[in-house]
This record gives sequence, C-alpha cells and structure tokens, in this order.
Amino acid sequence: MMIKFVLHRLLWGAITVWFIATATFFAMHAVPGDPLIQDKAMSPAVRAQLEARYGLDKPLSQQYFTFMGNMLSGDFGISFTQENRRVNDIIREHFPVSATLGIAAIAIALVGGVFAGSIAAHYRGQWPDKLVMFMVVAAISVPGFVIAGLAQLIIVRLNAAAESTVLPVAGWGGVNHVWVPALVLGLGTLAYLSRLSRAAMLEVLSSDYILAARARGISGISLFFRYQLRNALLPVVTELGPAVAAITTGGFVVELIFAIPGLGRYFVQAVQQLDYTVIMGTTVFYGAFLVVIVVLVDISYGLIDPRIRLSAGRS
Amino acid sequence: MTVVAIEHLQLALSGNQVLRDVSFSLAEGECRALVGESGSGKSLTAMCLLGLAPPNAVLNAEQFSVMEQPLPAQGHRDWRGWRGRRIAMIFQNPMTALSPTRTIGAQLSECFRLHRNMDRRQARAESAALLERLAIPRAEQRLSQYPFEFSGGMLQRVMIALAVACRPKLLIADEPTTALDVTVQAEVLALLRELQHEQGTSLLFISHDLGVVANIADTVSVMYAGETVESASVASLLCHPAHPYSEALQAAMPRLHSSEMTVAIPGSPPDMRGTIHGCAFAPRCKHRMAICEDSPPLLASPRGAGVRCWRWHPDYPERWRLQHD
Repeated sequence: MMIKFVLHRLLWGAITVWFIATATFFAMHAVPGDPLIQDKAMSPAVRAQLEARYGLDKPLSQQYFTFMGNMLSGDFGISFTQENRRVNDIIREHFPVSATLGIAAIAIALVGGVFAGSIAAHYRGQWPDKLVMFMVVAAISVPGFVIAGLAQLIIVRLNAAAESTVLPVAGWGGVNHVWVPALVLGLGTLAYLSRLSRAAMLEVLSSDYILAARARGISGISLFFRYQLRNALLPVVTELGPAVAAITTGGFVVELIFAIPGLGRYFVQAVQQLDYTVIMGTTVFYGAFLVVIVVLVDISYGLIDPRIRLSAGRS
Repeated sequence: MTVVAIEHLQLALSGNQVLRDVSFSLAEGECRALVGESGSGKSLTAMCLLGLAPPNAVLNAEQFSVMEQPLPAQGHRDWRGWRGRRIAMIFQNPMTALSPTRTIGAQLSECFRLHRNMDRRQARAESAALLERLAIPRAEQRLSQYPFEFSGGMLQRVMIALAVACRPKLLIADEPTTALDVTVQAEVLALLRELQHEQGTSLLFISHDLGVVANIADTVSVMYAGETVESASVASLLCHPAHPYSEALQAAMPRLHSSEMTVAIPGSPPDMRGTIHGCAFAPRCKHRMAICEDSPPLLASPRGAGVRCWRWHPDYPERWRLQHD
C-alpha cells in the first residue's frame, strides 16, 4: 500500500514537472530577444547559420516537441553562452555544491530550530523564551543578503583580531567554507521552525499523555525524546517541504555573495542572458528535485505519525 | 498499615486557597471514594499525591504521608521512587492519556524496564501476560498496535495495565469510567475491583457519580470547595448523610423506581478566588444558622462519620436536628 501511495504521488509529481517545463518554455520564448543577441554585432548570414544549428529557425511548436523529446531521454542540450558545455554537465558539476550547502543549511535549521523551540517552550514566559523569540523576529525580518554581509564582516574582523584565517570569507573548498554560508542560508528557516516547534512543544507539554507519563515515573531524557519531541516533531516535519524550497531559492543569493560555484549562479545568469537550454535544464531539474523532496516529506510523516501511515495506506 | 494519611492538607495556587482542608486516611486494601462537584479539589488532591501539583503551588499539611512515610516536596527529584512504583494513577480519558505515536507495547514495557529492571524480552513477555490478564484478546499482537487502533474500553484496560504493572500500594483512579459508555463502565469497574483484591492495593477512587461509588467503594469522603466535609462508610453516607451537602448530593441522585424529581442544590459553589469565611456551604444550606459564620470543626456523628458541620456539635439541640430531618 505504501508503494502504491508513493507511485501515486510520483505520478502527480511528473505531471507537475511537465507543467513547469511547458510554462517555462513558453514564458521564456515570450520574452523579447533571444540567446544570440550578443554584445558584438553579427552578420545575418552567421546568425542564420547559428539559428539553424540550434534549431531556432523552426516553428515554436516544433521546438517545444523537440525539447520535450530530448528532455524525456534525459538530455537538456547544449548551453548557448557557456562555450558548448552540455547543460547536463553543468548540473552534474555544480549541483553537488548547491546540495551540500542546502543539506547543511536544512540540518542547521532543523536541529537549531527544534532545539531553540524546545528551550523556549520549556522556559515559557521566562527570559530564555523571550530571548529566543526576540532572535526569531530578528532573523525572520532581516533579509538574507544583509545577514550574509554582516557575517562576512564579522569573519573579516575575527580574522584580523586572530591575525590568521580562522574562517574563509568566501569561496568553496574545505569544510570550513560550508559553516557560515549554511548558517546564513538556514537562519530564516531556523527562526521559523523554532516558532513552530515552540508552539507544538507547548501543546504537547499541556497534554494528558505527558502528565500520565510523568505519573508513571518517566522523567528527564526519556520523557523528552520519547514523549515530547516525537509528538512535537510532526508539525515541524510538515514544514520541511516549503523549507527546502525556501533554502533552494535562498541559495541563489547566498552562493553569489559567498562566491560559491553552485548551480544557483548558472540559473540566474541563464535568465539574464536568455540561455534557453540552461534555463529549461535548471528549472526542470529544480522542479523535479522539489517534487521528490515533497514526496519524501510525505513519506516521513508516516514514519513519525502512525495514524497517517495507516490512512495513507487505505486511500 | 495506613496507606494514605492526609491531615489538614492546604494548597494555594498563585495566592488562591484552592485546597483549604483535606483530611482522610486509607487503610491497606481499602477503597475510598472522593466525591464532589467539578472544582472541589478532588483531582488536585490526587495530583499532590503524585507530586505533580502545578509548579506555582504552595502546599501545607500537618500530615501528608503514604505507607507511613512522608512524601517529598512537590516536583522534587525524590518522587522517582514513588511515581509508578508505589503510587500509580489511572486517568479519566484513556484516548488522550497515551502517547499517540508509540505502540502500546513500547509504553507498557517501558514501565517494567524502568521500575522492575527487566530487559526488553522479559518486559515484552510480562506486558503480554498482563494484557491477557486484563482480558484483552490477542494480547501479543495488540502490543505492536498504536492507541488509535484501540476502542475506548480497551484503552482504559491498557491504562489500568500501565498503572498496576508494578503492583503499586496505592492506586488512584480519577473518574476512570466517565469517558466510557455505560456497558463498558461496568466491565472496567469489575476489573478494577478484581485487581484491587488480587494485589491488595488500596484504591482512591475519584468520582462524581454516587451510583458508581456505591458499587466499588468501602468508604467515601465528600469534598466541597477544597474541603473534605464528610468522611463515612458508603452505607452510612448513602442512607444517613450527615453533612447538609452530602444530603443534598444524595437527594440530587436520579432514582430508577420513583416518579420524584431529583432535587438540584440551589445556588452555586463559592468562588475560590476570594477568601471563604465560615462554612463554605452555608449560603446554599437549608439548615443555616448564625454560628455558620465561623468555620465548623471536624465533628463526629453518632453513626461514626467525620463531619464538618455545626449541627453535630454536642451543644446542638437534638430535637432541632429531628425537626429538620
């Protein structure tokens, strides 16, 4: 039954991806200009030759079907602006960088958010609660690029004070390159998740089953992990799908500021230069990626809440 | 052995005196019912016996002991040896008193592992045996099911299993049948009584249903506005209530073979946010006298009940009492 449920969700996911691809394709072609408009003037003969090479001389509907056909066979074509690089290669080379950053950001947001939320709920109305809630409001209201700039400034000061490179200001390479951009990228989500888990935790804390568990002599760590956290986690997991989307799109900006060679940079550049194949390739890829994440999140509900596991199986 | 001895228990929540004077005792193997309307302090008394009174509570008692040992302060670490091991509690609503995300088996074997130091396999076998004892069919399979897969009656049996798992000396049942339908109520009550006899447990049975109380309890303490106003045997309380409030409660019970209307008690219970002077029941009492402005002491009725009413004072004229009765 679980397999049927997953297949069902994946089928709808495929339809979603097709819709994204189609909408992007036509929207992209509706934008005035094309990828062959460059700084340098181009003779009509050269232009016609290039158009023929990329298939741009054919009617739009035919281009659409050609593109869809290639996409189904897993080929996104060749970039217009990146000296004949294949879009598949661009994704293969740069997505792992974005994914590493994203996973680190999600992990920081999830662990940090649930931790901060639990602390706030445990000390409800006291100073730790007020401190956490103040930081949450600050982190949600200050835009990511401001926080990124501030983080870099702090690193520069830190390195100057230590008279050595404690943390790199930008770039990509070792583990030390990941922490700060991942924290900056995950901070908004972290703040949001701490509010969510605080509310969920408060509800759990006032429930009968916590009182009953305490009356049975269960306390401390086992009460927290087995009774409180497990039950408070469900609303948090529900938000993970949107959180991944937020972190994916937030990644474009953070990658740019920290000079990280992720996929986001190609995505933004491609839109600016109307690099048709790269736009289509990255959009469809991100669309499919998010669809898979949402399905995974749906499956994970069932792992956390047995009631959902069963009703999903019955549907 | 006296299992529970409570004398002059007082509890204040943020300045409001919620329990004003709770006194009763419970002998080994005895079942005492604690009756009274909502807000009279029955459940709060039970929570104090588990050290689970709200964190801002201020507790005061002349005597507050279980098994002749004084209980630790509320919320203290020392409660570990008491909760679930020597004192256990059955909650009113079994649907909400079990964690929805863990299996019955996990929650039940946890008790055995925590209090009786069993390993995983032993605990599971013991859990299955206990569920079987409580007449839950297919116990072994049911252990790996979740609370939402059980009916209310079955869940209350599981709650009972959780409570009796470690053979506590004192079992507190807070309205254990209120959330169940009537046919299931009778089964659960019978089971509770059976277990109580089998294990020699003392039972503190909280209820507002005098019918259920008559069925299960040996003795009754009636609570009103945070005070035990009368403590007596079940027979004495139901046939010859000594306190005007007990009398009124008894008159408010619906009767099967009678066309008489049940008599509601006029007025409403006092607001616990203010200080109560004198007898708390006086404003609703049909026997009210001038002396009721002063708090009545605990007096003995001729039938052996402890009652907090001036009418049982030795100076109270006997003929007045007869006249009113």
